[in-house]
Amino acid sequence: MVLKVFRWGPGARERLQKYWVKARQGMTVLDALVELQRSSDPTLAFRYACRVGMCGSCAMVINGRERWACRTLLSGLARGPVTVRPLYHFPLIRDLVVDMAPMKTRMLDMKAVFVPGHRTTDGDGFAQVGSRSRERRSIDAAIECIGCGMCVSACTMVSHDARFPGPAALNRVFTLQRDSRDGAHADRSEAVLAEDVLTRCHGQANCTAVCPMEISPTGSILALRRRAVLRLFGIGPR
Amino acid sequence: MSARRVEPVRDRKMLTRRMGSAEAWRDTKMGMWAWLLQRVAAVGLLAVIAVHLKNPFARPVQTALLALVLLHGLLGVRAILLDFGLPARWHRLLFLLALLAGVAAFTGFWRWRWY
Repeated sequence: MVLKVFRWGPGARERLQKYWVKARQGMTVLDALVELQRSSDPTLAFRYACRVGMCGSCAMVINGRERWACRTLLSGLARGPVTVRPLYHFPLIRDLVVDMAPMKTRMLDMKAVFVPGHRTTDGDGFAQVGSRSRERRSIDAAIECIGCGMCVSACTMVSHDARFPGPAALNRVFTLQRDSRDGAHADRSEAVLAEDVLTRCHGQANCTAVCPMEISPTGSILALRRRAVLRLFGIGPR
Repeated sequence: MSARRVEPVRDRKMLTRRMGSAEAWRDTKMGMWAWLLQRVAAVGLLAVIAVHLKNPFARPVQTALLALVLLHGLLGVRAILLDFGLPARWHRLLFLLALLAGVAAFTGFWRWRWY
């Protein structure tokens, strides 16, 4: 099987390098890359950690779609050469390795960090949100984000507007705005009502389609919008 | 709380989807098609309405106008329903329903022509 792998390093020209790999049964794209690195090209750079579909660090664009390389079987891909690129919309470090720091920066810009509110100091120990409570169930899926960056890569609006914080940051904001223990709802509301934030999402749902954890950042953004509209009429929480 | 920027992202090499390449369209998702079709229909409507105003009785123009209005409008209804809280995971189903409703309305309306 032919793999066309994106290669680039500082000072070098970008190119798609062709490799030939003998595809074995159950072989994943990550297996193929590891084999290539060990047997024929030790300079090939890519990132991975858990190898079992938990950490999301091997997220790449494989045949035009964001996927985690460790869970993508070569046999499951369309016939023909397999094209492997790094995630879009992230600064490149080398080959398939991107710098994930801008995603964290976007989260900080949106104040997507838990700020203890008054409930955390109530009574003894930690304030709890019951696992079966409505509050918890409303964010059940959204809190499973592993920060792989696939949604940011798939989002066309991130590409068009550098100030748009992207699906991951807004999904995180959504979980915090629904958290009654958090004390920064008002500050965060101001941040998401800026011009290039909530209104910038066009609902294309590319983020939802590629999320390996089956989270719907589109749903989170729409929920934040409804919250913002209710607040505008003075009938909703901040 | 303030975000610290180490290096402006715009100054660094970054890949974006090249929409002129086949690879970029290889795995286009349904939500993207819904969005794109609605926008294309809107641009098409601008042209068709201009022609329609010059001669309201041209059958091909009427056909195009009806088709584009239905496509644009029903995809708009889909977006509104999602905005109003229908589960986002239904977006593909709503896209298909909008297309089906569009075909049904077009067929029904065209058969019913009163002149």
